[in-house]
Amino acid sequence: MAPVIPAIAFALILITGRRLPGIAPYLSIAAIVASFAVWIILFVTFLDDGAGTRSIEWFTVGGFEFTWGTTVDEVSLVMLGVVSFVAIGIQIYSLEYLHEEPRLWWYFALQSLFAAAMMTLVLADNLLLLYLGWELVGLGSYLLIGFWWERRSAAEAAKKAFITTRIGDVALLIGFVLLFRATGTFDIRDITQLAHAGSIDETQLKWALIFIFGGAAGKSAQIPLHVWLPDAMEGPTPVSALIHAATMVVAGVYLVVRLFPIYNMVPDALDLIAVIGLLTALLAGVMALAMTDLKRILAYSTISHLGFMMLAVGAGFPGVAMFHLLAHAFAKASLFLGAGSISHGTGETDIREMGGLWRKMPFTTVAFWIGALSLAGLPLLAGFFSKDEILLAVHTGRLNDGFLVVTFVAVAFSVLYTGRMLYRVFLGQLSSSNEDAHEPGIRMWAPVGVFALLAAGLGATAFEWSHAYMGFVSWVTDSEEGFHINTAITGVSVVIVVVGLFLTWLIYIQRSISATAIRLRLGFVAIAAERKFYFDEVYQWAINQVVLPTARLTAFIDRAWVNDIGVDGPGKTTRWGGGVLRYIQTGMVYNYALGMVIGAVVLGVIWWSV
Amino acid sequence: MFEGWLSIVVFLPAAAALVIALFLRNDSHIRWFAIGATVLNLVLIVITYVDYDRSLGGVQMVDRYADWIPVEGLRAEYLLGIDGLSAPLVLLTGLLTAVAAFASWRITLRVREYFIWLLVLSTSVLGVFLALDFLLFFIFWEIELIPMFMLISIWGSGRNRYSAMKFVIFTLGGSAFMLIGILALFLSSGVDTFAMVSIPSEGIKGIPDLIAGKDLLIPAGVIWFFLFTAFAVKMPLWPFHSWLPDAHTDAPTAVSIMLAGVLLKMGGYGLLRISVGMFQETKGFQVQDVAWLLATLAVISIIYGAIVTLRQKDLKRLVAFSSVSHMGFVVLGVSSIVGVGGTVTDAGLNGAALQMVTHGTITGLMFLTVGLVYDRAHTRYIPDLGGLALRWPLITVSMVIAGLASLGLPGLSGFVAEITVFLGTYEVWPWLTAIAAFGVVLAAGYVLWMMQRTFFGPRNERFQDIKDANFVDMIPVVALVISIVAIGVFPKIVTEVFKVGISELVRI
Repeated sequence: MAPVIPAIAFALILITGRRLPGIAPYLSIAAIVASFAVWIILFVTFLDDGAGTRSIEWFTVGGFEFTWGTTVDEVSLVMLGVVSFVAIGIQIYSLEYLHEEPRLWWYFALQSLFAAAMMTLVLADNLLLLYLGWELVGLGSYLLIGFWWERRSAAEAAKKAFITTRIGDVALLIGFVLLFRATGTFDIRDITQLAHAGSIDETQLKWALIFIFGGAAGKSAQIPLHVWLPDAMEGPTPVSALIHAATMVVAGVYLVVRLFPIYNMVPDALDLIAVIGLLTALLAGVMALAMTDLKRILAYSTISHLGFMMLAVGAGFPGVAMFHLLAHAFAKASLFLGAGSISHGTGETDIREMGGLWRKMPFTTVAFWIGALSLAGLPLLAGFFSKDEILLAVHTGRLNDGFLVVTFVAVAFSVLYTGRMLYRVFLGQLSSSNEDAHEPGIRMWAPVGVFALLAAGLGATAFEWSHAYMGFVSWVTDSEEGFHINTAITGVSVVIVVVGLFLTWLIYIQRSISATAIRLRLGFVAIAAERKFYFDEVYQWAINQVVLPTARLTAFIDRAWVNDIGVDGPGKTTRWGGGVLRYIQTGMVYNYALGMVIGAVVLGVIWWSV
Repeated sequence: MFEGWLSIVVFLPAAAALVIALFLRNDSHIRWFAIGATVLNLVLIVITYVDYDRSLGGVQMVDRYADWIPVEGLRAEYLLGIDGLSAPLVLLTGLLTAVAAFASWRITLRVREYFIWLLVLSTSVLGVFLALDFLLFFIFWEIELIPMFMLISIWGSGRNRYSAMKFVIFTLGGSAFMLIGILALFLSSGVDTFAMVSIPSEGIKGIPDLIAGKDLLIPAGVIWFFLFTAFAVKMPLWPFHSWLPDAHTDAPTAVSIMLAGVLLKMGGYGLLRISVGMFQETKGFQVQDVAWLLATLAVISIIYGAIVTLRQKDLKRLVAFSSVSHMGFVVLGVSSIVGVGGTVTDAGLNGAALQMVTHGTITGLMFLTVGLVYDRAHTRYIPDLGGLALRWPLITVSMVIAGLASLGLPGLSGFVAEITVFLGTYEVWPWLTAIAAFGVVLAAGYVLWMMQRTFFGPRNERFQDIKDANFVDMIPVVALVISIVAIGVFPKIVTEVFKVGISELVRI
C-alpha cells in the first residue's frame, strides 16, 4: 500500500498539474502523510505479528515466474519510516523554499514519483522488483537534479549521475542474473535459504555478490563511482537533502544489509566491501576538507559517511550500518535543509563569503550545529553512539586492527571538516554581504528543527532498555548481542573530537595557526584534494580520448568503408561498367553495320587461317 | 470467428486504398478516410487478438483456398492463419499503421497517392505475418517493396532516391536468396507443399514436420543460410545494416515509423518462424549449430550499433542506428535456442519476440517525436537544436518517455524484454550476454546525451514563435505511450500469447 499512494499522487499531478498547479503540492504531501500513516499501521502490526511477506504474480515466461511482492521486517520498516518521515519534512520545506518556482507542480510530481519508487525498493521481497524500484529512484534523481534544466551544469550533472549509477546498475543486474541462474528464483528469502543450504556454487556466489556490490557502490557513491554525487548538488537543496543524503544514496547500503546473510558466507566479498568503504570514508573526508562550497562539503561528508556504513557491513555488523544510516539520515537532512535556509537567507553557498551568521540566523545555527556535531561524533548526540558502534564493530569484527587505525584517521578528518565548516560559516566576523541575512518562515525552520532534534536524541535507541529490546542494533538484526561500550575506543574517539574541534578553532577563529601555511606545507596533497584526486579528470579523459574517438572512428568506418566502398562500391562499378559499355550501343545503324563487317572479316580471317 | 475474417483484416487497408483511388478527390476527405480505415482495422485486429484462444493454442481462424494456383508441381495455397507468434505482431502492425496515418496529417504533396501507398504497405505487412503458405508469404514480402520505394523516393527528403533504391536493392538481394531457399525446400523429396506449419484441424502437414530428419534437395545448411540472409538484411543485422540509416533519414516520418516499427520485425518474425522453427531437426544441420554465429553477430550489432549511435548528429540517423543495436537483442534471444531442451528454458526466445513488439512501440514513438520536432524546427541537426523543452513541453515529455523506455527503464516495456532476453541467454552465452549488457550503459549514454543537447539547456530563441504539438499530434503519441507503459507494467498482455506461439515453435 505504502508505495501505491504516492504513485497515484504522481499520476494525478501529471494529469492536473498544468491546469491546476496549485493543488499539486497538497496532493503530494497528503500522499506522503498517508504513506507515513501506513507505516505506523505496519509498524504496530509488525510488533504484534512479526515479519511477513505477500506477493502476486507479475508475468511468467519460459517457466520463470516473476512476482511483485513485499516484505515487512525490521530492516525494511526502519528504512520505510526514514523515507516517509524525511519526505514529509522535505516536502513541507519545499513549499516555502521553492514557492516562486513556476514549475512547482512538476517538482511535486517528481517528489511523489521518487517516494513511490523508494518505497517499492525498500519493501520489495524479490530482486527484480527491487531493481525496478532501484532504477525508478535513479530516474527520480535524474529528473530532480536536472529540475533546472535550463542551466547547462544542471543538465550535465543529471546526465552524469544517471550514467555513472547506470554502470553500477549493469553490474547489479549481472549479479542478480547470476543469482537467478544459480537458484531459479529472484525471491530474496529463497535465495538466502538456498545459499545456506550450499546449493549455490561458491565461485558463482562470490562473483554474483561482487557484481551486486558494484551496483550498491554506484548508488551509494563509493569510490571510484562517487563522482556523480557532488555534482548532483546542482538540484534544488531539499532534493539534495532527501535523495542525495537521507534516502536514495543509502539504498546501496540497504541492499547489502538485506543480502547480508548471503554476504556473510563469502569473506572475500565482505573484505572488498570493507576496503572500499574505508577508502571512501577516508578520501571523501579529505576532499570535504578541501571544498569551499557548503553543499559540496556536505556532499563529500555524505560520501564519507556512506563509506562508514559500508565499512560496518564489511566488518560483519549490518545492524550497526543501519543504526548509522538512521542517525546520518536525520542529521544530514537537518544539515542540508539548514544549508538551504542559509542560501535562502543570504543567497550564498561559498563558505569563504560567510561568517558570523549566528547573529542573523540563530535558530538555523543551533539546528545546523546539532546536526554537524552529531555526525562529527560529539558525545551524547546520536552520531556519537553510531560512530562508536562502528569503531567497535571494526575492532571486534572480522577485520584486523590496521582497519581500526585508518578508521580513526577517517573519523579525525570528519571532525576537522566539520569544525572548519561550522566556524567559517557561523562564527567570526559577519561578512558585509550577509548583512541582510534572515531566518526563513515556519514551513522551513520547523522541519529543520525536527530533524535536528532527532539527530540529537536518536542515540537513546542504542541502549538496552529491556530484555525485549536490547538496543537498536540487536533489534534490527534479531541478535542477542546487547549494547556495550569499549572504554579505550570511546576514549580515543572523544579525544579525537575534542582535539579536532580545538585545532580547527585555533586555525579558523584564533588564526594562531595559518590555514594557508598548512596548505603550502602539504603541497601536492592539498592540491590533489582540491582537485578531488583527479577522478573527474581521468573519467573525462577516458570519455574524450577513448570512448568518443572510438565512436567517431566506428561511425567513420561504417560510412566510408562499409557503406561507401562495400555497398556503394559495387553499385558504382556496375554503373561505370554500364557507362563504358553504353558507348558501344550508339543506336546508329551504320555503327552496328561497321561492327558486323569487322566481325565478319575477323571470323573470315580465322576461318581462312584454320 | 467466421471463415474469411483474416482476409478482411489483411485486405481492408487495400480496399480502402482502392476506394481512395476511385472515389475520393478532396485531400481532407482522403486523410480522414485513411485514418478511419486504419483505426477500424486496428479495432478488427484487437478483436482478433482477444479472440485468439490461448488455452487452445495452435493456428486459429484459418482462411484457406486450396485451389489458389492449381498447377501440377506448384501447390501453392491461399492460406492465412494466426498463432501465438504472429498475433502480437499483427497487433503491433495495426497499432503502428494507425499511428502512421495520424502522423501523416501534415502531408500536403500528392495526398491521394501517399495514403494509397501507405494503406497498401499495411496490407502487405499484415499479409507477411498472417500468411502460412510459403509462396504467399514471399509474395507479400515482395509487394511491400513497391509502396516503400514510392513513399521514400517521392515524399522523402535529402538523398531520397538513393536511399529508396538502396533499400530496394538490399531487400531484393536478400529475397533472391530466400526464393532459392523456398524452392529448394519445396522441391525436396517428400515435401511438395508450401505450408509453413502443420495445422491438424485442416489436415495440413507443414514443412517443419516433413523435412525433419530427411535429406533435402541441397544441404540444409545452405538453405538455412539463403533464408537467413534475407532475414538478416531485413532485421538488419550487422554487417547488413547499411541501408537502414539512409532509408530512415530520408523517409517521411510515418514511413520511418512503419519501417522501424513493423518492417524490421518481418526479419525477426522470419528468423523465428523459419530459421528457428523449421531447422531444429533437419538432417546434417540444425539451427543450433550456428547459434554461436547468431550470438556473435547479435553482440556485434548491439555494441557496434550503440557506439555508432553515440556519434550521430542527425536525430533520425541516431534513432536509426539505435535500432540496429536494439534489434541485436532479438537475435541474441534467438541464439539461446542451442541450450533449449536441456537446462535452459525458452525464455530467450520469448524475450526476442517481446523485444520486437517493444522496440516497435518505442522506436515508433521516437520517430514520431522526431517528426514533430522536424515539422516545427525544419532541422534534425542536433547542434542546431537545444532548449526545446521550454517551448514544447509536450514533445519533450514524449521524447523523454521514449528515451527512458529505450534505455531499459523498469516499468516501461523495454526493460521487460531485455531482462527476459538476458535471463534466457545468460546460461548459454554468459560472456556474450555480459558484454551485451553493457550496451545498456551505452544506450543510457546516447539517449541522455541526445535529450540534453536537443531539449534541455537555455531557451532557444530561434523557435520562439512556433507552437507545441496540438491535439491531433498528440493522439498517436498518447496511444504509443499507453502501450509502452501497459506492456511495462502488465507484460502478461503480450507474453501470455507469445508463450503459446514460442512453445509450439520449439521442437527439441
